[in-house]
Amino acid sequence: MSRQGTRGVDPRKVNGELFTLTYGALVAQLLRDYEDDDEVNKQLEKMGYNIGVRLIEDFLARNNSSRCNDFRETADIISKVGFKMYLGITPVVSNWSPAGDEFSLLIENNPLADFVELPPGHNNLNFSNLLCGVLKGALEMVQMDVDVRFVQDQLKGDNITELRLKFLRRLEDAIPVGED
Amino acid sequence: MASITKQKPSPLDKPLSKGKAEVNIATFALLFSEMVQYCQNRVYSVSELQTKLSEMGQHVGSHLLDLLFVREQGYKRETKLLKMLLFIKTNFWKTLYGKEADRLEHSNDDERTYYIIETEHLVNKFISVPKDKAKLNCAAFTAGIIEAVLNGANFPCKVTAHWHKGTTFMIEFDESVIARDKMVEGR
Amino acid sequence: MTIYNLHIFDRNGTCLYYVEWNRRKSAGMSQSEEFKLMYGMIHSIKSFVSRISPTDLKDGFLNFKTNRYKLHFFETPSGLKIVINTDLGVGNIRDTLHQIYSNIYVEYVVRNPVCDLDKPITSELFQTKLDEFIRGLPFFPSRIN
Repeated sequence: MSRQGTRGVDPRKVNGELFTLTYGALVAQLLRDYEDDDEVNKQLEKMGYNIGVRLIEDFLARNNSSRCNDFRETADIISKVGFKMYLGITPVVSNWSPAGDEFSLLIENNPLADFVELPPGHNNLNFSNLLCGVLKGALEMVQMDVDVRFVQDQLKGDNITELRLKFLRRLEDAIPVGED
Repeated sequence: MASITKQKPSPLDKPLSKGKAEVNIATFALLFSEMVQYCQNRVYSVSELQTKLSEMGQHVGSHLLDLLFVREQGYKRETKLLKMLLFIKTNFWKTLYGKEADRLEHSNDDERTYYIIETEHLVNKFISVPKDKAKLNCAAFTAGIIEAVLNGANFPCKVTAHWHKGTTFMIEFDESVIARDKMVEGR
Repeated sequence: MTIYNLHIFDRNGTCLYYVEWNRRKSAGMSQSEEFKLMYGMIHSIKSFVSRISPTDLKDGFLNFKTNRYKLHFFETPSGLKIVINTDLGVGNIRDTLHQIYSNIYVEYVVRNPVCDLDKPITSELFQTKLDEFIRGLPFFPSRIN
């Protein structure tokens, strides 16, 4: 009875609404499980981190890329390859700091927050905080210690959703035991 | 001059998306497995874990229902049981999983029970269940989605996921649904 | 041609996986010592190679040969390292190493939520798939019978 052959759908993709609503269900669950917004933010970041360290391997396996030369190249790849590939959006890279160690990702249509309205009384909730963890985890795996946080969020009435990434330091490869 | 007072936008101000956006299966897979692990750390048994997953699925299902009906059926809700089940098996499944469900069956022994059978269901493609939890079927999440959709469409029921011919979703309707359906059919 | 053995190290130097096929002589030390020795040597060669390089290195250390065997090395930007020892007849196998990473490691370890990424790999599915893959390679031994 099934018509396997006729599906015009990419088997490597899933329905965007299923994804968005699944994320919404997760946040709703966390809001029930934890007392305050900061705890929820932390938990979301932690889960994001776990996702990030795995996602980066998937990313590297599919893009035969080598390590980035500078932070600008990193910014470009995050936006044009990473976000594009995993969320289907391309955030705008902007607001570079003069030293070139800090930039913003401007997100117009955040797929995590589609059809979302922040529940009343949760003004400190960073609904999409998972993203911070994903970026942090993924970048850490390619030897970059980066601070990631939300500075603007459309859900909170801002005009745009803005993620700020600040390069902290390059992490060194582990040195074998017994050597210095 | 632009006003500086922030006003929270309502999702109602945005046009209803066409539902075309898709995300990479890896993104969904990793999110889902984090959810499973999160739930697992907060429960003591496989059945508690399945209940938790089902609850999350119900959250998804209750939100999906309206989007789907508006888009697929031109605002008309199904009132007949079999038509509703066929809607789930075909349109609904196709929208969510890119294909129709493999099979829909009616139980021989119990007229209240129906089965939707999937040989390889999406959420089970990337989860390998550890041996000590062989009973665990993470499709409990999907079962929750179906349950919420059916309940929301006024077909009260209980849906559970089982390892049988792949994954079997067992749908047990309330007595009232069957009785009502007989009346509708009889008219 | 033949393949002797394979190591996978994570970026902290933990040997995630080791398997051998046609190795006939042991190193005369415990396995954990041997892993340390291997990781330490890889680490040293890498830093030697990049320091001594007269121009900017792109891929860095790829392989070395002795008169008995050839060691092939592959590292991802995330620091996962795959080391394969073969006999001298085997040419450049970077693509093969990349396939092990993307089609086997990422598919069966990274995608599997019950596999920890920083602990030795115990997944049977991974072990089977890797073994099948290696045995199916054109340069896997053509031993008599």
